Amino acid sequence: MIEINDLRLSFGSNEVLKGIDLSIEKGQVTVIIGPSGSGKTTLLRCINLLEIPTEGMLRIGDSALSFREGNKPGRGDILAFRRKTGMVFQSYNLFPHMTALQNVMEAQVIVQKKSRAEAKERSMELLGKVGLAGKADSYPHQLSGGQQQRVGIARAMGIGPELLLFDEPTSALDPELVGEVLKVIKELAVEGMTMAIVTHEMKFASQVADRIVFMDEGIIMEQGSPNEVLNHPAQERTRQFLSLLSEPV
Amino acid sequence: MNDRTAHLTDIFIDSFVPLLMAGIKFTIPLTIISFILGFVLAFLTALARLSRWSILQRVAWFYVWIIRGTPLLVQLFIIFYGLPSIGVVIDAFTAAVIGFSISVGAYGSEIMRAAIQSIAKGQWEAAYSVGMTRSQALRRIVLPQAARVSLPPLANSFISLLKDTSLAATVTLTELFQKGQQITAVVYEPLLLYCEVALIYLIFSTVLSALQHQLEHRFDRYAAR
Ligand SMILES: Nc1ncnc2c1ncn2[C@@H]1O[C@H](COP(=O)(O)OP(=O)(O)O)[C@@H](O)[C@H]1O
Ligand SMILES: [Mg+2]
Repeated sequence: MIEINDLRLSFGSNEVLKGIDLSIEKGQVTVIIGPSGSGKTTLLRCINLLEIPTEGMLRIGDSALSFREGNKPGRGDILAFRRKTGMVFQSYNLFPHMTALQNVMEAQVIVQKKSRAEAKERSMELLGKVGLAGKADSYPHQLSGGQQQRVGIARAMGIGPELLLFDEPTSALDPELVGEVLKVIKELAVEGMTMAIVTHEMKFASQVADRIVFMDEGIIMEQGSPNEVLNHPAQERTRQFLSLLSEPV
Repeated sequence: MNDRTAHLTDIFIDSFVPLLMAGIKFTIPLTIISFILGFVLAFLTALARLSRWSILQRVAWFYVWIIRGTPLLVQLFIIFYGLPSIGVVIDAFTAAVIGFSISVGAYGSEIMRAAIQSIAKGQWEAAYSVGMTRSQALRRIVLPQAARVSLPPLANSFISLLKDTSLAATVTLTELFQKGQQITAVVYEPLLLYCEVALIYLIFSTVLSALQHQLEHRFDRYAAR
């Protein structure tokens, strides 16, 4: 349902994504792992079109965009495509001048032109789902990191995306707050939300992932079921990476 | 009380109302009207400088360059004494409003541009990620935050403007400072009169500062600081 074909992106002469091929089935959770600088964030940003790929093809459902050197898709196409995906940021990026409820409502009212009543009802439902119905009227600075990130998830869900992207959603959190965010993501997985998640939480990855993708230096080195990739990696680089992660500190 | 002190007290009291009236009739309206027009001009200029169209960017840059690089006094003289020689005659009050608005527009646009650029890139990206267009992101997400950032420096320039309006005396406007000069010419007590003028400016600016604090307090609702 989501297809990425030979996706490439360069920053100047630095080719960061060197031809990514990946497909994600509806309802699947794909966890992306890999060393720092391997292009995981950039891949998510390309799918969300925060970066415009230099080359390749993206398809979500029945809409597809092709990229070629010197040929950017039109602004309208980019907007329409972007609205099919939601993004959860490492540093939350909540709107600080809006309450939790307003954060979730905003795009539904401004972008989707829902009535305020309808948007509010849906947003309260989403805040309930992430366990924050009681914090609807709090401003971001009044919330803990874990709470802010859960609002971030509700906000991304608000526009009804077909695919939800998470970029290290717990790595800015104090350890004791990680669990509450992972729990929300697991619940979404159970409900059948299609998700692509960059994370270093390996236990969580093995529990929630249908597929694990290992990226290194701008390519996908290896992918497969959690058991295949985590317990029986085929590539030496994957083994190295996993052994570094499990090394006691 | 000796005679000298009584004399000065009389002058002070007799001058107070005329000075205050000059302030209320000219200085205050000049400040407020110029600031409102200048604010609008500043906003449009800031948007132009941040726009995608390079022609707009360049026009805005040119305007700011000229106004910031030349003295306000000279600009007022060009408008009031210069333009009539090409047939454009403007009365003193209008000339002053034009001069001050253009000045506020240039300095204010730099304040607003800096405020908009100070908003973290992540805010734009979060807005884009939920599907907003550039103008929706600007209007709903960035500008409200930038407004709070730019409030203190804009309030500063408002108070500066109040004081700068004394330059309008040079284009024959009988505002607060000019009134002080006129009374001084008659009673010849420059120290007393100019201190009195200063006092009235101080009263006006203190009231404005109090208003500024009220406004900032409102914005503080969402800020942790
Ligand atoms: N905006 C950018 N401009 C230039 N280089 C960038 C930019 N963003 C990322 N990069 C580079 O792209 C590479 C991949 O970065 P990133 O996708 O953030 O990796 P990861 O998320 O896997 O740690 C890095 O070498 C980084 O320096
Ligand atoms: Mg990253």
